[in-house]
Amino acid sequence: MTPLNTFGAIMTQAIGLEEGLADYYERAGNSDQASACARRRQKMMRIRREAVLEITLEAIDGLDSDDYALDLEDVSESGQALAASTAARFYREVAPGMNVRQARRALERAAREHAGQ
Amino acid sequence: MVERLRNYIGGEWVEAGGRDWSPVHNPATCELLAECPESGAGDVDLAVQSAQEAFGEWRRTPVLERAQFMHHFKNLVEDRFDDLAEVVVRENGKTLDEARGEVRRGIESIDFGIGVPFMMRNDGVEDISSGIDETTVRQPVGVFAAITPFNFPFMVPIWFLPTAITCGNTFILKPSPQTPLSMQLTCELIDELDLPEGVVNLVHGGVTSAQAIMEHPGIAGVSFVGSSPVAKIIYETCTRNGKRVQAQGGAKNYIAVLPDADMESSVKNVLGAAYGCAGQRCLAAAVAVGVGDAYDRLRDELVNQVAGLRVGYGLDETSQMGTVVSAQARERIVNMITEGEREGATISLDGRDLQVEGYEDGMFVGPTILEDVTPDMSVAREEIFGPVLSLMRADSYDEAVELINHSNYGNAASIFTSSGAHARDFKYRVNAGNIGVNIGVAAPSASFPFGGQKDSFFGDLHGQGLDSIDFFTDRKVVIERWFEG
Repeated sequence: MTPLNTFGAIMTQAIGLEEGLADYYERAGNSDQASACARRRQKMMRIRREAVLEITLEAIDGLDSDDYALDLEDVSESGQALAASTAARFYREVAPGMNVRQARRALERAAREHAGQ
Repeated sequence: MVERLRNYIGGEWVEAGGRDWSPVHNPATCELLAECPESGAGDVDLAVQSAQEAFGEWRRTPVLERAQFMHHFKNLVEDRFDDLAEVVVRENGKTLDEARGEVRRGIESIDFGIGVPFMMRNDGVEDISSGIDETTVRQPVGVFAAITPFNFPFMVPIWFLPTAITCGNTFILKPSPQTPLSMQLTCELIDELDLPEGVVNLVHGGVTSAQAIMEHPGIAGVSFVGSSPVAKIIYETCTRNGKRVQAQGGAKNYIAVLPDADMESSVKNVLGAAYGCAGQRCLAAAVAVGVGDAYDRLRDELVNQVAGLRVGYGLDETSQMGTVVSAQARERIVNMITEGEREGATISLDGRDLQVEGYEDGMFVGPTILEDVTPDMSVAREEIFGPVLSLMRADSYDEAVELINHSNYGNAASIFTSSGAHARDFKYRVNAGNIGVNIGVAAPSASFPFGGQKDSFFGDLHGQGLDSIDFFTDRKVVIERWFEG
């Protein structure tokens, strides 16, 4: 159980998720998705640096990293679909907890991208 | 062997002349990080000589070139952003989010410094009299110094340094000996800029070096952030020695919560304001005044939310609150809580005996709530500078305003309400330099002046914003006439 209870914890989880998925898609031979994940990872790192507004840092509750565990072994099509939907759900569920618009927008967009929308 | 810090003077890393060293500890792990020298008057004098020698060349460097150095500086800070944030956590004890926020706020001040060429422009009038033009020009003044505190070891020095030097001055920085490492790393970055030697100097130390700065005739002005008693001494000593000075002192910031406030959202924000940076910021919420029936709802929601705060080592990203800076700080905070209890306050949440697993010797004080606090109690009057929120009752909005204005301090005050009329009246009547409306930490961004009122500020021109351009420059009036033929 690792709580996603701070801005940094959520952004670090997002960075780790994209890093893991970039490697996963690479192994699955899905280079388009792999490079999209690598780009998103860079973006999330930038957001973690830039969108942290000290005066509005607030505690976040009700989220845990265990709820978004990915199976990165199964590179089948159904495995990839499951990974993408888990990633999309992660972003969808963490975005509302962010009170910095730039960060929330980036997370919402990542949710849409993982959902293929 | 632990690192012994050196001063940065004239573009060189040099040993301080003094023989005394103070330890720099990680307040969570108690690891000895470095030893900080107590520089003496001789070290300060070397820095002043170096800064004075650099001033002539630096003021002749075109302002756009000076601003270009700030572009490069910003890039270096961005490149080392994560390293700087980690250093802040390790020496200060705050959380990684708070440290990142601090570095980001510092970068805002570098951005402001980049804008100095625009802000140094001045005005003039043709034909103020027949054939006579009158103009003003802004000129740099000389050598400035900053004496900065432990609570924002990166951000506060950077409030001053970029603007001071981009205006064409040279600079001496004396960071807190408790947290000198952020500026040590920052000066390593500054060294990479290849500024002319002596434009920026770093002198480590405590009272002795601060005294030497205040008294040195070669220093034109001093910026200070710290406690009010010291701010007053700095102001009096510097002015006696003919310097301009901006001395930002302590605070006892009040928050008024009205019955029409959105309680859940308000408390979430009050929580951040009271316990962010473990309460060690001059804008921390110290007293929350519940007006009318807001009091009980405020208390219940606060106790409910505060109890869930996760206290731990700042480098663990799940920590929502870190340590206070030192054992002495912890002892002082604990003693003040005990004194509040002795004076009649009720402790609803007691952080005095908090232990964090794995960091049993760390300087932790848990979030604390004191109830039934009255204006005469020490916890209502004196700055605690720790994670302690005192709750007070007011029967009416007017009584809340009276309580706030009764304080000797006037750094910040906030109101939580959905009433525009009350918000406007609060802005109008409350005597504090920074007012928050549904914002618990009313921290001005770099383009606005930052300064308190009453015992929270000594001086005329505040830090940051256009005040800082006035502080770091002199305006000269030129009246000219050219004879024809």
